[in-house]
Amino acid sequence: MLKLNRRAFLSASAATLATPALLRAQSGAIKIGTLTPLTGVGGTYGPSMRDAILGVVAQVNEAGGILGRQIEVASEDTQTSPEAAVRAARKLIDVDGVSAILGTWASSITTAVAPLAWESKTMLMCVSGADSITKLPHQGFICRTQPNSILQIQVAGDFMVAEGATQMAWIGPQTPFAASSIDILEQIAAANGAGMESLIYEADKSTYRSEVDQILRGKPDFIMLGGYAADSTVLLRDIWQAGYEGKIIGPAYAVNAGLLDTLPSAVTEGIYTWEGAPAVNSAAYANVKAILGVDEVDPYSAQTYDHASLTILAMAAGGDSSGDTVRQNVRSISQGDGQIVESAVDGLAALAGGINYSGASGPCDFNEIGDITGTQFVFKTISGGKPSEYKRV
Amino acid sequence: MLSYLLATLTFAGVYALLALGLNVIWGMAGMINLGLAGFFALGAYASALATVALGLPIIVGIVIAIAFAAAAGALLSRLTLNLRGDYLAIVTLGFSEVIRLIAANEIWLTNGSDGIPGIPGPLRGTLTPLEFNALSCALLFAAVGLAWWMTERLRRAPFGRALRAIRDDETAAAVAGKPVRRYKVQAFAIGAGLLGLAGAAYAHFTSYVAPDIFRPLLTIYIFLALTAGGTGNTSGAVIGAFFVILILEGSRFIEPLFHGLSGAQGAALREIIIGSSLILIMRIRPQGLLAERPPKSLRTQ
Amino acid sequence: MDLIPQLLVNGIISGALLAIPAIGFTAIFAVLRFPNFSVASLATIGAFAGYAANVGLGLPAVPALVAAFMVAGLVGLASDEIALRPLRPYGALTAAIASIALTIVLENMVRFGFGNDLRGYDLPLVRDWRIMGVRVGPQQVQNLALALVIMAGVFAALKFSRIGKAMRAVADNPTLAELKGIDPVRVGRLTVFVAMGLVGAGGMLLGLGTSIDPLTGFRFILPIFAAAVVGGLGSIPGAALGAMVVGIGEELSLLVLSPAYKSAVGFIAIVLVLAFRPRGLLGERAY
Repeated sequence: MLKLNRRAFLSASAATLATPALLRAQSGAIKIGTLTPLTGVGGTYGPSMRDAILGVVAQVNEAGGILGRQIEVASEDTQTSPEAAVRAARKLIDVDGVSAILGTWASSITTAVAPLAWESKTMLMCVSGADSITKLPHQGFICRTQPNSILQIQVAGDFMVAEGATQMAWIGPQTPFAASSIDILEQIAAANGAGMESLIYEADKSTYRSEVDQILRGKPDFIMLGGYAADSTVLLRDIWQAGYEGKIIGPAYAVNAGLLDTLPSAVTEGIYTWEGAPAVNSAAYANVKAILGVDEVDPYSAQTYDHASLTILAMAAGGDSSGDTVRQNVRSISQGDGQIVESAVDGLAALAGGINYSGASGPCDFNEIGDITGTQFVFKTISGGKPSEYKRV
Repeated sequence: MLSYLLATLTFAGVYALLALGLNVIWGMAGMINLGLAGFFALGAYASALATVALGLPIIVGIVIAIAFAAAAGALLSRLTLNLRGDYLAIVTLGFSEVIRLIAANEIWLTNGSDGIPGIPGPLRGTLTPLEFNALSCALLFAAVGLAWWMTERLRRAPFGRALRAIRDDETAAAVAGKPVRRYKVQAFAIGAGLLGLAGAAYAHFTSYVAPDIFRPLLTIYIFLALTAGGTGNTSGAVIGAFFVILILEGSRFIEPLFHGLSGAQGAALREIIIGSSLILIMRIRPQGLLAERPPKSLRTQ
Repeated sequence: MDLIPQLLVNGIISGALLAIPAIGFTAIFAVLRFPNFSVASLATIGAFAGYAANVGLGLPAVPALVAAFMVAGLVGLASDEIALRPLRPYGALTAAIASIALTIVLENMVRFGFGNDLRGYDLPLVRDWRIMGVRVGPQQVQNLALALVIMAGVFAALKFSRIGKAMRAVADNPTLAELKGIDPVRVGRLTVFVAMGLVGAGGMLLGLGTSIDPLTGFRFILPIFAAAVVGGLGSIPGAALGAMVVGIGEELSLLVLSPAYKSAVGFIAIVLVLAFRPRGLLGERAY
């Protein structure tokens, strides 16, 4: 008897060493996967996106888990490459047996992983903004917390006009939303009698001096940035050095805490940012700040906090841990007349009476194709290297 | 788990096709092609556009992909015949970056950085994901087998011996009356055709192509595969490709053994393991797992 | 066309910065006869060493630059001894491929230690001067001056010092050099140290105008290769000249091409130069 036990123990430990993931898949825990960029050009965002998810899961596990089980997270790196991301997603789906993949960044990566998700009935929650993503035949297995790019640019374009722009400019790298951003701003400019110039540059350059010279020749008084944090850092420095005195607006995921830390505050003074907004004094937002131990939460990390909360609540509401359950229940716990809750733990406690999850990135209401609706936007302005709220729309 | 293994083997098959193509160009003819990702992209986009935009059958798309990549290879090598190895390396690297920039910026043709989703795969949708992976794996293995057989025959044929002579001493080969320029262009075109085939296979298996896929990282993996397997050795190319996939995928299972690492540290550790394993294998077997041997036909004739 | 003088100034500045790591890359090629791709991560390591000296220890730019040189030189030498030197007898390409694997390892060691966050140097930032309608930044001028001083130092050392002469002798004819009693291994080590030091210093100079992260070196690697090849692989003045061609060419390209195609220009320049001069602008003599 003892011998048998010992052998069983030994083989179990050997299995743990050899294939820990396999063993965990059998242990009865509920599995969800994070697939964020930890290396490559998206690497500035991925680590804290992952930490936000881990934080939510730790809170839920501490409160007793869901469906009488603990939740385990399997993390993989997209390497910011669609090819590597597809291999990583296969491992998450087939080896770890995750029922949801959370946090894909960059539209090309989400699009590459999407067919794997819907074919294997795995939920995919992403932070990608390209309009094409929710138009894929995903049968409900995709939802995203990032407002689609058309909506974002419209809101920001209207803001620029309202703030008195007469000569607008857009400068950014080639992305899935570069062309549509320029189109929308041109329409807004034309409708309001303003001018509009645009320039698409090549990402990953060490200087954009000549590009800045070119865009400033149009004498813009309001410039919109179209890139991410790394190239926006270079660009803002070059724009400032060129002596530009007009206004600048950039998405909050580009003009984020990392960028503000890196640049002298003189360079970033007066810049506007905008992002999908949580409710004022949102408890969800405060919770992400506590989880990550930061003062300013990156919009992407706020979104992955919501991904994890939505997934867990949908599983609990549906009474099952499958991806299909998440798909069927994600809307019932995130919108409607139920009690407003702002964390997975609070939601689990109030679940029986009906809940409406409202997250760190916004109210998290999804339409039938998985785009968020009813998003509020908050505009912030940077002063002394710190963002402060300026306006909500 | 089985589905994952099958998908991983399918990716290994794509890598093996790439390594076989590189083996013809570099291993057999001695021309350094750092533009692998560019030819891979040409094949992937050609087949994707043929099947999605023009509605042609997959097999026609694949033939177009091979022809297109081979033609591009012939043209590029024709233009660079006078360049010595290191210069050719940079020109081909530049070629692949230009291809990627075109794919990202010429939206009218390639759908830009959105990429092309929904590329058909054989029986995709009617089969379960597991069955589809099994079929893809079988088809890829058949393609690798065919490519292996063809390039191995090529290597043993007079053409292959002439290529080796050119690789080892171009001047001597020219003096011996070999049509050096024509042979080099042909070898480059054949190899590029295989790279194009790999691209088409990748596009139909994963159903999506986008410019980001064709960054130089992939080229690096394939060069490491061929070097680890044994440059100039056809079987070595295939084994090297499987070996690289084994390291790339196997390293995922090592990382969870280390606790208390941040996300970036865990990912960095995995890449350190990948790079160190490759250096280690090259230190242990500098000529590759399978060193190049003179083909048998040389001795029997 | 009033943009042309401005583009020329921008091009000269970025060309001069590019020249430093390109000289390092080509010097290794001249002496050891293989393209060492690990310059990408050594430029990153130099940038981070300079950052640590500047922000961590509070040193000004020039001492930080020395730290970047020393750390990159030592790491470059150590990693070359461990990973690359034993492989060189098996051919230039084996060593070149191993250097790619090495660059993956080194980049991720930086990531392991520093994470992926963007980091900026602690240097005062000032608005640009405008001189006859052309704007130029004091920081750029300082970087340009530092780059020129470093280059002058390299050329003087090659020309006049005993070590420099030995390096040139090995580059020109290793067998003959050995007969003359020059130890090729020692010269090789010295070359790797100095060359990787230059790459590290160049990485920091390039990083001064941006923010740095573990991918910093990768952003510059293609123009560095392009510069070395255009000038003639293994030619040190060629690398400096090639850097100017690539730097100015990329900026002037804005006149005719969308900026989205900027780095394509470097390669078009290469193809054009190589079509007429298959061994680069200055051929391959080291100096």
